[in-house]
Amino acid sequence: MLEARLQTGALLKKLLEAIKELITDANFDCSDNGIALQAMDNSHVALVALLLRHDGFEPYRCDRSLALGVNLVSLSKVLRCAGNDDIITLKADDTADVLSLTFENTDNDRISEYELKLMDIDSEHLGIPDTQYDAVVQMSSAEFLRICRDLQVLSDSVQIDVTKEGVKFAAKGELGSGAVTLKQSGNVDKEDDSTLIELQQDVSLNFSLKYLVNFTKATPLSTRVSLSMSSEVPLLVEYKMEAGYIRYYLAPKIGEDN
Amino acid sequence: MSLRQSRLSFGPKSALVASASKEGSKTDKATSEKKETSLVAEITSTSATTTADVTMEEDDESSFKIKKRTRRVIDTDDEDEPIALAVEAEISLTQEHREEELTATTKKLKLDPTSPQKPKASSTITKEKTKENVQETVKEVKEKAKAVVEDVVETHSVSEDKEFEEAEKEDEEQEKEAVEIKQAAAKWADMFSKSAGVESASWKKGEPVPYAALCQTFELIEDTTKRLQILDYLVKFLIQVIKLSPESLLTVIYLSINKLCPEYEGLELGIGESLLMKAIAESTGREMKKIKESYAEIGDLGVVAMNSRSNQPTMFKPKALTIPHVFKTLKDIASLSGNSSQKQKVDKIKVLLVSCRNKEAKYLMRSLEGKLRIGLAERTVVVALAQAIVLSRPDIKKLSKEKLQTELEEAASVVKSVYSELPCYDMIVPALLSGDIEGLQKACKLTPGIPLKPMLAHPTKALTDILDRFENIAFTCEYKYDGERAQIHKLEEGSTMIYSRNSENMSAKYPDVMERLYKFAKPDTNSFVLDCEAVAWDREQKCILPFQVLSTRKRKDVKEEDIKVQVCIFAFDLLYLNGESLLREPLAKRRQLLLEHFLEVDGEFAFAKSMNSTHIEDIQTFLDQSVADNCEGLMVKTMDGTEASYEPSKRSRNWLKVKKDYLAGVGDSIDLVVIGAYIGRGKRTGVYGGYLLACYDPEREEYQSICKIGTGFSEQDLEDHHKELKEHVIPEPKSYYVLGESNKPDVWFAPVKVWEIKCADLSVSPVYKAAVGIVDSTKGISLRFPRFIRIRDDKAPENATSSEQIAEMYNDQKLNTVKNDTSMGVDMDFDY
Repeated sequence: MLEARLQTGALLKKLLEAIKELITDANFDCSDNGIALQAMDNSHVALVALLLRHDGFEPYRCDRSLALGVNLVSLSKVLRCAGNDDIITLKADDTADVLSLTFENTDNDRISEYELKLMDIDSEHLGIPDTQYDAVVQMSSAEFLRICRDLQVLSDSVQIDVTKEGVKFAAKGELGSGAVTLKQSGNVDKEDDSTLIELQQDVSLNFSLKYLVNFTKATPLSTRVSLSMSSEVPLLVEYKMEAGYIRYYLAPKIGEDN
Repeated sequence: MSLRQSRLSFGPKSALVASASKEGSKTDKATSEKKETSLVAEITSTSATTTADVTMEEDDESSFKIKKRTRRVIDTDDEDEPIALAVEAEISLTQEHREEELTATTKKLKLDPTSPQKPKASSTITKEKTKENVQETVKEVKEKAKAVVEDVVETHSVSEDKEFEEAEKEDEEQEKEAVEIKQAAAKWADMFSKSAGVESASWKKGEPVPYAALCQTFELIEDTTKRLQILDYLVKFLIQVIKLSPESLLTVIYLSINKLCPEYEGLELGIGESLLMKAIAESTGREMKKIKESYAEIGDLGVVAMNSRSNQPTMFKPKALTIPHVFKTLKDIASLSGNSSQKQKVDKIKVLLVSCRNKEAKYLMRSLEGKLRIGLAERTVVVALAQAIVLSRPDIKKLSKEKLQTELEEAASVVKSVYSELPCYDMIVPALLSGDIEGLQKACKLTPGIPLKPMLAHPTKALTDILDRFENIAFTCEYKYDGERAQIHKLEEGSTMIYSRNSENMSAKYPDVMERLYKFAKPDTNSFVLDCEAVAWDREQKCILPFQVLSTRKRKDVKEEDIKVQVCIFAFDLLYLNGESLLREPLAKRRQLLLEHFLEVDGEFAFAKSMNSTHIEDIQTFLDQSVADNCEGLMVKTMDGTEASYEPSKRSRNWLKVKKDYLAGVGDSIDLVVIGAYIGRGKRTGVYGGYLLACYDPEREEYQSICKIGTGFSEQDLEDHHKELKEHVIPEPKSYYVLGESNKPDVWFAPVKVWEIKCADLSVSPVYKAAVGIVDSTKGISLRFPRFIRIRDDKAPENATSSEQIAEMYNDQKLNTVKNDTSMGVDMDFDY
């Protein structure tokens, strides 16, 4: 039996927005730690892993681990019925085939209840190895969103170079080329906008912009984003939240031989 | 910069490429093995090479290949000789230590796989084995050469009258098949009496069959051209399926023939290439441009998909595909329609593609395209099914060899005949699994509502052939109507259906006929299956209209009030009546029942006009009369006895057709200008697969499209044309090319080449523009069954056949069909 009450319903709405483009169906794995989700996109190019820790809910109760198979499009449709300030409660029985959602407004005078049919989703949990990344860039999430959108005009892939000095995003396409460089800044005043780089080794990798733009759907969840890279290893894009995170992994593009 | 999207993977680089390199080494090994055997074989036996040379006179590509191989082998032979001698010398020197020495040599050689001596050395050591090998290879070469000869014969024949050849080929094939079934039966009987088991499968009992297992079988089948071998592979695989996962048998059969359901249900794959390329692009992240390029180069989307895949590293390997899953997804894809179905299709294909390993992508793509192209005929699948069922019986090892052989042969013929009566694996396969072969015949019979394959007639070239064939046999002549074969079914519960020659449901095309059915079936008929010809009918003139008119009738969503082309049904056979199958009854009885239980309705339903006479003069008159009545010619059928039964799906010699075309020849050839071409696929990769031809209108100074052409070319022709026409490619069509929207070629040519073309006849077409405005204000004229005769270098494009001439030919032809062409049939003595 699961019962999870979320004070800020907007969080759940934003989370759904952040993943529903990438994956259509997924299991919400509920345990006493919290609610987690892990799924790959159709092409097995990207992976999403998100976690909402139990302390983000008040109260949170989950006696037995549960996997709730949900069609994300349907869930986001239901969530659209919730107000931004509503308190959302998720409930599911151990054997239930529905997920029930309750939305209460702040004045506590409007309560709406929805039930969403669950489905059996055949998915295996993938073990993601802990990696020591060569380069970790922490930057403003809004800035990352802007760079991705801007460069998408030029090409469908971006080259990211990280050096001691800064991080450079470059795209080259038929109509021309463009590049954005962010310098390592110690601007303590505007912490949200600063760019911080931890570097073991310079890296230079190519990624599909289509996917990156998709990842930036998570921008409303956090003001900061971190990009972790090593050559030959998937990029990790992480948005940290108060009680959890959403992580995207993206396999790099390889140069075509011919 | 060109980039490719890799799959998500957390492994180090070596792991990323591991799969690819492994694949490579495997093939390396395979080829080196192949090389080895051929070397071994040829080196020691000069006789082998001579035999091969003798049999390789044909100027054909595949034989050329053999020749090349032989030459290479001979070359290596020369090189190896001294080494071999050295090895031998060494051996004789160290007589006492022979054994040790030899093993040492072998070891040494084995350690160095690049050494060219290896095959020679091993051949000296295992001389006896080599001899065996040699014999085998000689046999193989001989067989190949034989196949080549057959091939050549077949290619030659294409340029002859196609229909005859087709029939003859079918005949030959039927005979060949019968022999093959026998051989296969004998082989299996032999194998089982020696109690050799079938090797273990790649999956466990009760598990769904992995798609990979099927693909592996496909691959084996594709690699051979020997039908017996194909049958062998398939039977082995089917036995495994029956023993381990019988519930998958039906889907395996469907996937092997690349269908999703019985034909009459009409669900088909055949996804467009652009959609497939999109799916490949999206699932691999390869650029569309690159995919298109490699498609133009390779000509097979399956291989393109596979190549795009196998360089693609994955770590989180998706689960292996299973047969039920693949089949279900394919069916889902085929059933999708309407809004955004394209995107959904691509998504589903992507999911499958991502899970494909090794060769799976290749066959998956081909299945999606609707062409498997592995040389697996449906006939073979049916035979394999029958034999696999027999061979997987538990008591099979107790049977004597002879008994088993006869049983296998019988099973094949039973299943074949049942399938032609009831072409529905949905019913046959469960019946086979639950019962035995004998039970099948009881369980699966001709059923109204399920179309059976129609019986076909054998073409004849002269009336005298008929008398030769039917000497001392009662026979009857019927008009051969120029329309569309229609099988009309009425079920006991009252519903009715009409099926085409290819078992497609045409009920939607003929609502008018369905409506009138009650008028011509007498009340005492509650269920029946009629074999008929639907013919376009002119109600005012009360005469038959040519086939071309019928073909203008809409195919779908026909509303009764909108019908412009009226049809009359000419019934000539009754296959089922009131719960009884009549297939095994003689024609005389079937016809009698037909006449008894049905009524002619003027202009709507009639019995095929028939005549019983054995005099050639009468037949001649009847033929002339049929032509005068706008029919194609005559059908001649046996009347009584066992030879007069209805043989579904068979091109039988008990039915002969005499067509006026065969008697009268095809008429003048036409000289046309080549204005475009279509990129070749499959066999014709690298050359043009077809061309767009045009006639010339001197008044308007235009080239008007007239037909596409793809027949009549030898391989040499195709290559020559490709080479020559490449020079004349232009980026845009000339402003004076006139053609319809739907037949734009892939490349355009300047008007330089004139070809001589022959065709069956001319018809009005909305797509082609030849003589537009002369015969019809908006429609042009097109050629039916055009075939290439030769290049007319002596003619300039402006001297090509003119639109006016085309129009004239068309009108003449119409005249011929309406009035009786007197020349026809009178002089029966021309040369063929």
